[in-house]
Amino acid sequence: MATVALDGLSKRYPGAAQPAVDAVSLTIAHGEFFVLLGPSGCGKSTTLRMIAGLESISSGKLEIDGRRVNEVPAKDRDIAMVFQSYALYPHMTVFDNLAFGLRRRAVPRAEIDRRVGAVAETLGLAELLARKPHALSGGQRQRVALGRAIVRDPKVFLFDEPLSNLDAALRVGMRGELAKLHRRLEATMIYVTHDQVEAMTMGDRICIMNGGRVVQTGAPLEVYRAPADTFVAAFLGSPPTNLLPAQIAGSVLSLGEARVTLPRRAAAGEVVFGIRPEDIRLDGAAPHARAEVVAVEPLGAETILRLRLPGVATEVLVRAARTVPAKPGEQVPLAFDLEAAYLFEPASGRRLARDS
Amino acid sequence: MRLSGDALLRGLVLLVLALYTAFAAGPFLWVATMSVRTTTEISLDHYAWPEIWHWEKFPQAWFNSNYSVYFENSLLVVLAAVAILTVVGSMAAHCFARYRFRLNRLLYFVIFSAIIFPPQITIIALFQILVQYKLYNSLLGLTAVYVAVQLPLTVYILESFFARIPSDLFDAARMDGYPEWQIFWKVSLPIAAPAIATTVILNTILLWNEFLYAVVLITDEAKRTLPLGIQRFMGDQLEDVGMIATGLMIAIVPVVLIYAFFSEKLIQGMTAGAVK
Repeated sequence: MATVALDGLSKRYPGAAQPAVDAVSLTIAHGEFFVLLGPSGCGKSTTLRMIAGLESISSGKLEIDGRRVNEVPAKDRDIAMVFQSYALYPHMTVFDNLAFGLRRRAVPRAEIDRRVGAVAETLGLAELLARKPHALSGGQRQRVALGRAIVRDPKVFLFDEPLSNLDAALRVGMRGELAKLHRRLEATMIYVTHDQVEAMTMGDRICIMNGGRVVQTGAPLEVYRAPADTFVAAFLGSPPTNLLPAQIAGSVLSLGEARVTLPRRAAAGEVVFGIRPEDIRLDGAAPHARAEVVAVEPLGAETILRLRLPGVATEVLVRAARTVPAKPGEQVPLAFDLEAAYLFEPASGRRLARDS
Repeated sequence: MRLSGDALLRGLVLLVLALYTAFAAGPFLWVATMSVRTTTEISLDHYAWPEIWHWEKFPQAWFNSNYSVYFENSLLVVLAAVAILTVVGSMAAHCFARYRFRLNRLLYFVIFSAIIFPPQITIIALFQILVQYKLYNSLLGLTAVYVAVQLPLTVYILESFFARIPSDLFDAARMDGYPEWQIFWKVSLPIAAPAIATTVILNTILLWNEFLYAVVLITDEAKRTLPLGIQRFMGDQLEDVGMIATGLMIAIVPVVLIYAFFSEKLIQGMTAGAVK
């Protein structure tokens, strides 16, 4: 168990115009499952690799358990990492893969046998110890990679998109196993992913990054319910939040030809109206607007409707019941859950405070 | 009854293979038969099957014609050169493939471009250098020249293989606590074993058969390598064809052995990509 603190951590590659990681400051608590989430190229993996010691730190400070480790080499940081490609040594058996790190640390042979055996038992690898990686399935390789980290009993676990090479069914299973593992080990884990479902389901806290910067950090539902800007609103949630250009005059929001009265007054001017697909109802009782159905996408458990609001270029996505009778070309009444909607400033994308 | 297309194709492939085998193995067998016949017998009929098997020609070549010395010299020079080539070549290849440093590609290109010079261009300069450094007419000098000549190709073959080893493996080994030097020995080298076997075979066969550098740089009878020993039977007026054939067979045996021993690895290396 350990705390990890990043203070203004930056990574600049020579010749690159923009820093790959730009002044990231985070504090990760003892035993926390912390998720770095963002699209590819957002700097999340580089941040993780700086924590691991695989990438040098251009500026800023990295502390593990209060000790500055900027210059400490990877091997002395007592951190284990699980790679997206698993990175199993192809010429070694599963046993040797698991024992490789322990041998370096001069752990006695009997102790190695015991620890490898215990980890293999927990992960269901006991039968496979004599095999080489090429004779394992994707899921088994994944578990060996996991075991190699666990067996060392490190201060901090780092995961670099460990599940993205697995097929969908295995991924769901491994998500559960990882969460269970985290509860059992009570270890500090930092997990990089671009998959919001992984982030939402496993993370104690998630940190959303974009363009090398931290955009927002918080508990998953907190971030989901109160996105800091249009990027987070669009990135979290599937289908993504509708972001519609609108104007405000007094407490009236003009959304194309529709006029919606807001529960509170807001500063007049251009805004981006953000509303999640599940916060729009097809409600004939007190509709805010009427829209034309462009497409109906039945997903089984629910139906996604693509709608066109008169005077709004962007299509509106609505998450509706699976039994919704709508057909393309029809007009449907829409009601917005205005308490769950957000207003964003168009230029910066930042969310406007609710009570302004 | 009609031959199916598959059977026809198969027959054709077998025919081509049979022709190629005859083409490759024929001369070998011919030399093998001549190695147990005397020159007189051979001059009577070049292609006849041996009537009397003159096995005694082998000990005769080995003991009376100094072949034991040539063999020992060849073994010494080739083993030393191949050992140095393998160690230095794989380390250089590892660095070129793994580390980002200034002039990496330029240095690699300079080393590799040495391949384009035919030996005839450099051999006189080489001769003078070796004379100055008192390495002329010495096995040490010949070994050094062999290493220098074969290093570019060795680095080239190994670099392309090392470069294909995923960098995650090195990162994993670093996380497991290993320093760079150990990562080279415990991760890079074992994974690159097929490619290394390829270069070992290639270098061994090339150097074992090498003639040009040896004939220019070695004059001493006691320092001749096998190809030079065989050349000794070629006189101005008379060629002892029978003894040449016997010498060739003595020279070929180790090559066949090493090839048989390493061939599986060689094929693995050629069809490499088994890194995943």
